[in-house]
Amino acid sequence: MSGIKASAADRRDARFGYVLAAPSLTVLFLIILFPVLSALYTSLHEYTLIAPNFDIFTGFDNFRLALADAEFRHSAWLTIRFVIGVVLLEFVIGFGIALMLNKVERFKPIYYAILLCPLLMNPVIVGLIWRMFLHPNLGIVNYLLSTVGLGPVNWLGDTKIAIWTVIMVDIWHQVSFMIVLLLAGLASLPKEPYEAARVDGANAFQCFIHITLPMMRTVIIVTLLIRLIFAVKTYDLIYIMTRGGPGVATDLVSYFIYRTAFVGLNIGEASAMSIILLTAILGLTAYLYRYMRSIR
Amino acid sequence: MFKKLLLGSVVALGFTGSAMAETVNILMEGVPDTQFVKELIPEFTKETGIEVNLEVVNYAEMHTKLVPQLVSPQGSYSAIVVDFYWVGEFVKAGWMQPLDERIKADNFDTSVYVPALMDLVGQVDGTTYMLPFYNYAMGLTYRTDLLADAQNQADFKAKYGMDLKVPATWDEYLKQVEFFTKDGMHGVVNQGLRPDPIAMEWSNYLFANGGTYHDADWNPTLNNEAGVKAVEQYKTMIDKFGPVGSASFSFDEAFNVMAQGKAYSYITYNFFRTAYDDPSKSAVVGKVEIMPVPGPTPEQGGSLNGAWGWAIPKSSPNPDAAWTFLKWVESKEIAKKRALAGGSPTRTDVFDDPDLNAKYAYFPALKQMLLTSHNFPVFTYTPQLVEVLGRELSLAVAGEKSPSDALAAIEAEMAELARKDGKLK
Repeated sequence: MSGIKASAADRRDARFGYVLAAPSLTVLFLIILFPVLSALYTSLHEYTLIAPNFDIFTGFDNFRLALADAEFRHSAWLTIRFVIGVVLLEFVIGFGIALMLNKVERFKPIYYAILLCPLLMNPVIVGLIWRMFLHPNLGIVNYLLSTVGLGPVNWLGDTKIAIWTVIMVDIWHQVSFMIVLLLAGLASLPKEPYEAARVDGANAFQCFIHITLPMMRTVIIVTLLIRLIFAVKTYDLIYIMTRGGPGVATDLVSYFIYRTAFVGLNIGEASAMSIILLTAILGLTAYLYRYMRSIR
Repeated sequence: MFKKLLLGSVVALGFTGSAMAETVNILMEGVPDTQFVKELIPEFTKETGIEVNLEVVNYAEMHTKLVPQLVSPQGSYSAIVVDFYWVGEFVKAGWMQPLDERIKADNFDTSVYVPALMDLVGQVDGTTYMLPFYNYAMGLTYRTDLLADAQNQADFKAKYGMDLKVPATWDEYLKQVEFFTKDGMHGVVNQGLRPDPIAMEWSNYLFANGGTYHDADWNPTLNNEAGVKAVEQYKTMIDKFGPVGSASFSFDEAFNVMAQGKAYSYITYNFFRTAYDDPSKSAVVGKVEIMPVPGPTPEQGGSLNGAWGWAIPKSSPNPDAAWTFLKWVESKEIAKKRALAGGSPTRTDVFDDPDLNAKYAYFPALKQMLLTSHNFPVFTYTPQLVEVLGRELSLAVAGEKSPSDALAAIEAEMAELARKDGKLK
């Protein structure tokens, strides 16, 4: 009897819950799901800016064309390597700094403020500033190198170096994001396990491996995931610093899709490429999410 | 009380509404000529009572901002400026109003425009869609003081057996570039960033070698002796005679190298000429002059043409006011004032004006440059062709493709685009 009553009350609660959630769900639908569905619909048609209509249904032709395009495949592959590079390097550097900051007692807000500065800057401005710093003849970086006898480095003009230059600037810009999230995680860790471990005679390294890492795992995965999704979308830095060059050395996939849409005017094919990218990111997110749940 | 307040504000709004003059909104690029126009606008508002609101943005943002406004039935821009890149696309999409009836009704004389510019950013297939606004044809800027130096002249004569003087042909210029690469100086600085800086600059190399983009039937004509030579020369310039990193320079960075006195020459947009004489930007004031890019023979030029045109979009909310503005801004009087301030004119009567020729000794050279310049292929997919050129030339400069392979790739994609546009049968 009581079970039925409870479930009726539950149902009422649930209905009330839906009513409360309805406004935000509607907004979410309008600003997220609707554009995604619209992109999906566009990707199945020959939709160009010259003829912006859905008259010609092409099925999966746009997807076939995109996947057959060697330039697109090159951009996608380059993006994968870029993302792995920046996320791993930023994680290592960011975690290191977060661990150090976690021990700091005095002037913490000052360190925070300094670290957050790059993150608060617009990527376009970051790109422009670094382009000036890295100017091979007139920039300050090569000037400083020359004072210790190192020759001018062709930061953005050499196919082998350019991608590393972009990675370096991205790290400078985004590493504080990692630091802030990881530091928040570290600060919320309970003190007791460490005290117990110290009593048992564990050293700092052992504490880190056996206590910090396991307890931080969820935070680490969420941080990596968010940073990874942002890194896949990197566009501004490329646009300002290299335009995908020299050659095709820094032609990341977001910039490639942008060009397909707004230079090639082919919104249909660009939508197909975006859907491919979205599927890849969704798959990765789902995998990491399940992994995170499995270790809880 | 609240009602009174509300009423008061409604009345106040009504007054400001009726007192507010008509406004012409224009999206423009942040370049010197836009600034010169902006400075003259108070005169227009005084004459006509029409306010002009210029939204000035970076080139890169313009197309992305324009298209949504042009596609919608009622956009927010009364008039627009159109880069020659976009002419084919805008005409094909039917986004610009034909101006012929307005031109006829007001007896606006379009015959004063430099013919090549009218072809580029004026008429398309006999219909006038635009009035040429300013030109950005490319010229060779070079250091006059280095040419005049007696020691240099003697050394050059000894090395090449010819006089050191303003180069009459492309080959002569190439020798000078080699000669001036010495003692920390560079013979040339290039703008090798993809896509448009490299594509535009390299076009001068193509024309200077006597090459062309396509024949009369739009068959690409790049992968031949002239094309390969142009790519090889461009690569040599960057690798041997230019500063480190010029493969990734945009025009501002290349200009800075030249303006800091570190290079003998730079092929660039003619509107940079005035900036060389601005002491706040340049360490070589009075030492740089501009000339048409020399061609294969002294009679032929190698310069690439380029220009912007004024147009009224179909989606313009107030085309009549926009036309009033266009007529005013393109009148001889205002065009001359803009040129006097340092702008790049498009009207022959402005080029021939005695006041301007007295103020700017290089005006005859500019006119000559426009008259002998070559147009870039204008069709629906011009921006995409620039993209392809940028990519392949950049690959060739980086040594990842041979000049001939890069040109073959450009030809293939260019033919496909021209076919898609119905130009190539």
